[in-house]
Amino acid sequence: MSREEPIPRFGHKPQVAFFDFACCEGCQLSVLQLEERLLEILGHVDVVTWREAMTEQSTEYDIAFCEGSVTTEEDVERIKRIREQADVLVTLGSCASGGCHNELKNQWSMDEVRRVVYGDAADTISTIPSRPVTAVVDADYRVFGCPVSLPEFMTVVNAMLTGQSHQPPNQPVCVECKLNDYVCVYEMGKVCLGPVTRCGCNAICTAYGDPCQGCRGLMDAANIPAMLKALKREQAHAIMCAVVQRHELSDDEIAAKLRIYNNWPEFDLKEAQPDDD
Amino acid sequence: MGRELVMTREGAQSFFGRLIEEGPVMGPRERISQPGFVMFDWLDSAGQLRLKYTTTTIPPKKAFFPPRQPLFEFESSQPPTITAVQEATAFTLVGVHPCDLAALEMLDDAYAQEPAEACWPAARARARVIGVDCLPDEYCFCFGFGTCYGREGADLFLTPIGRGYLVEVLTEAGGGMLRLSDVEDATDADREQAAAFRRAKSERMTASIDASPAEFADILEEDDFGELWREVASRCYSCGSCNTTCPTCFCFDIKDEFDLGLTGGRRIRSWDSCQLQEFALVAGGHNFRRIRWQRVRHRWHRKFLYLYRDFGRPYCTGCGRCSRACTADINIVDVSNEIIGRARGRA
Amino acid sequence: MRAADELPVTEDITRFYRPELARVIAKQRLSEMMVLLRLQLNSAETLDHGPGQFLQISLPGYGEAPISFCSSPTRTESFEICVAAVGNLSQAMHHLRPGDFVGVRGPYGHGFPVNDMRGRDILCIAGGIGLAPLRSLINYVADRRSEFGRMILVYGARKPGERLFKDDLAVWDARDDFETRYTVDEADADWTGRTGVVTIPLRDEVEIDPGRTTAAVVGPPVMYRFVAAELLEKGMVAEDILFSLERRFKCGMGKCGHCQLNDLYVCQDGPVFRYSQLLGRSEAIEVWAPEDERK
Repeated sequence: MSREEPIPRFGHKPQVAFFDFACCEGCQLSVLQLEERLLEILGHVDVVTWREAMTEQSTEYDIAFCEGSVTTEEDVERIKRIREQADVLVTLGSCASGGCHNELKNQWSMDEVRRVVYGDAADTISTIPSRPVTAVVDADYRVFGCPVSLPEFMTVVNAMLTGQSHQPPNQPVCVECKLNDYVCVYEMGKVCLGPVTRCGCNAICTAYGDPCQGCRGLMDAANIPAMLKALKREQAHAIMCAVVQRHELSDDEIAAKLRIYNNWPEFDLKEAQPDDD
Repeated sequence: MGRELVMTREGAQSFFGRLIEEGPVMGPRERISQPGFVMFDWLDSAGQLRLKYTTTTIPPKKAFFPPRQPLFEFESSQPPTITAVQEATAFTLVGVHPCDLAALEMLDDAYAQEPAEACWPAARARARVIGVDCLPDEYCFCFGFGTCYGREGADLFLTPIGRGYLVEVLTEAGGGMLRLSDVEDATDADREQAAAFRRAKSERMTASIDASPAEFADILEEDDFGELWREVASRCYSCGSCNTTCPTCFCFDIKDEFDLGLTGGRRIRSWDSCQLQEFALVAGGHNFRRIRWQRVRHRWHRKFLYLYRDFGRPYCTGCGRCSRACTADINIVDVSNEIIGRARGRA
Repeated sequence: MRAADELPVTEDITRFYRPELARVIAKQRLSEMMVLLRLQLNSAETLDHGPGQFLQISLPGYGEAPISFCSSPTRTESFEICVAAVGNLSQAMHHLRPGDFVGVRGPYGHGFPVNDMRGRDILCIAGGIGLAPLRSLINYVADRRSEFGRMILVYGARKPGERLFKDDLAVWDARDDFETRYTVDEADADWTGRTGVVTIPLRDEVEIDPGRTTAAVVGPPVMYRFVAAELLEKGMVAEDILFSLERRFKCGMGKCGHCQLNDLYVCQDGPVFRYSQLLGRSEAIEVWAPEDERK
């Protein structure tokens, strides 16, 4: 608390760069939406590269925020260079942190993917199976979400600037949903991935009555077999019975829902066993 | 005390209106974004109050123990300063069902156990409580728990009758509140209607735990249900919703957060759940309830055995919130009865 | 409940959670992972702790964690804690310097029952950083030596470089009324002492009169069951074996629920327990025999 250097990791005002890989750039956009809170953060750091927000660029930086997925060999080299330069690497969003839509293409061969997307130009395009930044280099901090949750982004920035580590939460969205006193969307007849999905989003979707799509990925001990049972079996639970009757999800359909944000490495329902029993 | 009066429907409307003018009132009201669902929240007008409701997701304990609560603010100066967060506004909590009244009393006992905690009783001392009677749905099982007709902790208690509410005045503070209200003496017909409401309540109750709290505690103490715990755990998400919706759960976590300026911040207390994987994790990395079924068992043991032995009553009110919230169909009544059935089958 | 006009408004309702300030008066690095901090309450009061009790220590913004006292209450002018750099709070505490402040609450819990131990032989068995809480007991015995019988210490560390309190070890070694046995799991080039787990010297080199011995055991969870078996083999009874358990105390007052061990709160009923208290309790997984692990 009264250390000579309140930010032990950096001896000076750290320089920050933002980088994007294959993605919608929605995470950067979200960060820009911090507006006046962003200005407060800028009091602690100097932003030297941020394509979405400024024209200047620098090859010298201490902290790299990286969003997006690695989808080409060039990306692999680029993220390795960034990792080498940056003292601290922060992955922004699920694309970079653990897996997102981009990994859906990994279900097909890369030749097929190129042909479908680029047609006649397929041969001029190179691509590799999509993977998060964290599959190529180590990240010091990871912010999940599609897009990132701003409160969590702020928490991570605070942790970073005060020399603290930040473990992504390992609790389901249900916890935050309940602590906010939201109505369970199952009670509204919808199928929600909240019970197996890592929280940290402050249950932003269920706040508006929308089901969780699982954008922050599965939590560590996600009980997928329990979800298969809950969404398929005959139940005494009136609320769940109504949901199940209405949706009649097969194993494949449930797997497809889970695959959207959990296809790195490739999602296999049969291997999805909780790791704590 | 123990007086019975009648507040007409219109009388109640104006009473709650005046109460809200006088000071903050929390009560059941319809959610703005999700019509049809009721939650405990601060009321702006008497029109928002829904005294006829089945249940809420989160119990009214949140009025006294908010899901997230700052304990103090700090500044990392030299020496650091620590400033207590003072909450000193009196308020009224209205529309509390008998099961939830019982839960408040259970938490009074739990927090008063030496060394006594101070946040809870201080918040309780700031509040007057008005209870209201209710009719059950298929998840309710308060009848066998003695929480069905409880009045503990209420200053006034309302039972719906034809022309409004039969009002039981239970404390001096409750009587004092009635200065804001036009009440009449109850007639025999009013009392009969209230009694009929209570009969309907018990008659409509379909769920019950098949053993007395004492017998159930003894059964659990034998603890020979490994197979059953594993079966339940195979269905359990460990999402903690059974705890976070429970009116008698009182576990919490404590964490710090910095403000953006990175020199000040606050220490926050927030609800926690023993079902979450990392609840019993220690600094060295050992997790003393790592396996899911151990956590499931712990929930039953804590509610029906340990706290029963400590306080003479199970820490369950029969409100059914946990079963309702469990999207994995783990029903506290069904599981409890399965345990009881197996124990008796063995005997 | 009280009416609005009788409301007490000045009561500090969060006093249970609010730390007192204490000042770092000395800091000593004990190993790569461990520092020893000597602290003094800003109010100059003494905490009046017992050996084996713990306190809640915090740095604003970095959180709060339980930590055992490692100094004896017989040395009243200050108290000491030994901090392993494992998390955000403890790593920040490694950056503290003399003059800096920390927050403390406590002392909490039941420590070693020194009154019951008077007149008896004391057998301390420490594994790794478990020596820290035991040091409070050992120095208590050292300072009131005549009140106790034999004082035996068996201490095992993983590596020579991880051995704590080398100054204390030298002092204890030098006393002819202390019996010490040290071992490391992995020797290095300079180590000339024993190699192997702590139960080996306990088994082979420590002879006790089981009827007049109390054992105090602190170490990693995996150590307890093996030490227990060895002590029972020597003829000790479970009542005379004391274990200090680690749980994740958030409040220290039996409310937050994190430290519950079956029907016990480790922060209130412990952290020091008699082995006999733990035997019937399924969640005292430290003391189970290995084959019971998944019971």
